[in-house]
Amino acid sequence: MTAIKPSSVALRRPRIPQRWREPLLITGAVVVGLWIIAAVLSPWITPDNPLAQNATPLSAPSVHHLFGTDENGRDVLSRVISGAPVSLSLGILLVVLELVIGGTLGAIAGYFGGWLDEIIMRITDLVFAFPTILLAMVVVAALGPGLFHSVIAVAAVGWPTQARVVRSLVRTTMQSDYVTVSRLLGSSSFRALRVDVVRNVLGPVAVLATLGVGNAILLLSGLSFLGLGARPPMAEWGSMVASGSVNFQDWWLATFPGLAILTVVMGFNFLGDGLRDALDPRSFIDEALPGSRTVEP
Amino acid sequence: MTMAILSVRALKRARTRHPIAVFVIRRLLALVALALGISLVSFVLTHLVPGNPAVANLGQQASNDPAAVHAFEARYGLDKPLPEQYVIYVGHLLHGDLGVSEQTQRPVLTDMVSYAPPTAELALTAMFIAVVVGVGLGLSAALRHNGWLDRTVRIFTLVGVSIPIFWFALLALYIFYLRFGILPGVGRLAPTVQPPPTVTGFATIDSLLAGQWSTFVDAVSHLILPAVVLAAPVTSLITRFARAAVLEVLGNDYVNAARAKGLPTHTVLLRHVLRAALSSIITVAGLALANVLTGTVLVERIFSWPGIGQYAYNSAINLDLPSIMGATLFVAIVYTLTNLVVDVLYTVIDPRVRLA
Repeated sequence: MTAIKPSSVALRRPRIPQRWREPLLITGAVVVGLWIIAAVLSPWITPDNPLAQNATPLSAPSVHHLFGTDENGRDVLSRVISGAPVSLSLGILLVVLELVIGGTLGAIAGYFGGWLDEIIMRITDLVFAFPTILLAMVVVAALGPGLFHSVIAVAAVGWPTQARVVRSLVRTTMQSDYVTVSRLLGSSSFRALRVDVVRNVLGPVAVLATLGVGNAILLLSGLSFLGLGARPPMAEWGSMVASGSVNFQDWWLATFPGLAILTVVMGFNFLGDGLRDALDPRSFIDEALPGSRTVEP
Repeated sequence: MTMAILSVRALKRARTRHPIAVFVIRRLLALVALALGISLVSFVLTHLVPGNPAVANLGQQASNDPAAVHAFEARYGLDKPLPEQYVIYVGHLLHGDLGVSEQTQRPVLTDMVSYAPPTAELALTAMFIAVVVGVGLGLSAALRHNGWLDRTVRIFTLVGVSIPIFWFALLALYIFYLRFGILPGVGRLAPTVQPPPTVTGFATIDSLLAGQWSTFVDAVSHLILPAVVLAAPVTSLITRFARAAVLEVLGNDYVNAARAKGLPTHTVLLRHVLRAALSSIITVAGLALANVLTGTVLVERIFSWPGIGQYAYNSAINLDLPSIMGATLFVAIVYTLTNLVVDVLYTVIDPRVRLA
């Protein structure tokens, strides 16, 4: 009989570290996860064909149509579910685009500094001088309405946020003592960039990207609501809310797609905010929220 | 060369004597550069893209007639090379000429003058609500750092920035207007109410100036819903920043000293904590104006509010080049000027900020 040393029990690392078990983070991850599953399975789990106009138009929610039907006799629940892959994939695509453009420019500005930095930062100032949706509306109006064009528009106005954060992260890391030491020890500046900078930039960028997806979905659905994004008969949440604003009396038309946007965006924002706490207790981009512009550390 | 050195010396001398004046001048010069850049951006966006304004404005019928298309292009200088078009455009801008709107057939600047006040009234009311509620919530959250109130406020701010504002507006209209009839529906005034004579363009102030009490009440009741909806996401932003700013100040020795010497809590909060946190809150409020202006486009559309957002929307769907360009430029300049004022305020409030 050997006695178990109490310290060995206490010191055993929990399978999931404490910092990953924040309720906010878990709620966000679960909500986002459920929506992603719904989006992937959407062709199979919609109770009806989202485009089929085979029910009584504008009937209130009932056992047959849980979320009611729209003005063309389409099942709202089916349309809400099949709107998920549209918004989620475009939201993620947008953030990837913003990261590729903004991340690259930001890294160049932060790494090289000097006049290149100056030029890139002045361009971000320029874009920041416009209210986001107005600039996006100009782009969409210029290219012509359409979902793809509105993605380009939102990417065109969204990249400076990523660029600024990446720039200042790269700068801070390049000036840190351990990068200086590793360069003194003979590693090339490219190695410093690859190893030290990337490691320090990845966490904040993950947070920023997560918050960015929520913001992108909001903006895209806003443009679709205005009739500048998705075209009928596509099931897109923003344009579904718009049809609910025409048939204002029939509350179910706008309520359910709106709730879908709210929950998805909330999921990403909870996840992003929780990730920030988990990844970096110093809160690098302290109060960065979607749509907020003062995200420079 | 000597000129440059002289001016640098003059600048240095002036900086020590009139620091704020030099700061404002520097910022104004930067503003001119920014304005040129802004005009270039809006010009490029509306000219270098395949959308055909002639077809959009003349309609399919007329655009099949080459003479009509040519006349249209000549009238707006669309047949000239792009750099020349830009120079013409900037020349016009410097004379305050933002072009003529295709939709209203009036100069865009004239349109802006009549469409700006409703937007300003709505945006300022929303900002006021957001700052008051946001600072209050942020302060109380910071004072109970990591307590239940702090956690609740955090959830609320996250939900606040996640709400699709156009949906929120519809929901608010449905509940407060259609269902319960507590508040009036769309528009600035009830259709039966005679609008007050225009002085400031703000329906609320104008009706007070005219002494029309019932009109004032009507204007305020129409303002409540759109302003509250518009304020929701911005309140969340300001709450977060106010909380962070207060937390930072609370950690300072002088706050502990003020407490230790027995000052009542509200004195410490007002005179030491809020005062120090105010400067960063003001900066955030200036930047948050961009969020409000973005929100107005969607909210004005739903509430049929006759402001710049509605105007921009109508221009955008009709591919009306001069007016969308003019409106965008106008809003960008107003936003930039506001932030210049905010920056100056910041240095006045907080002398610790270096003016360089």
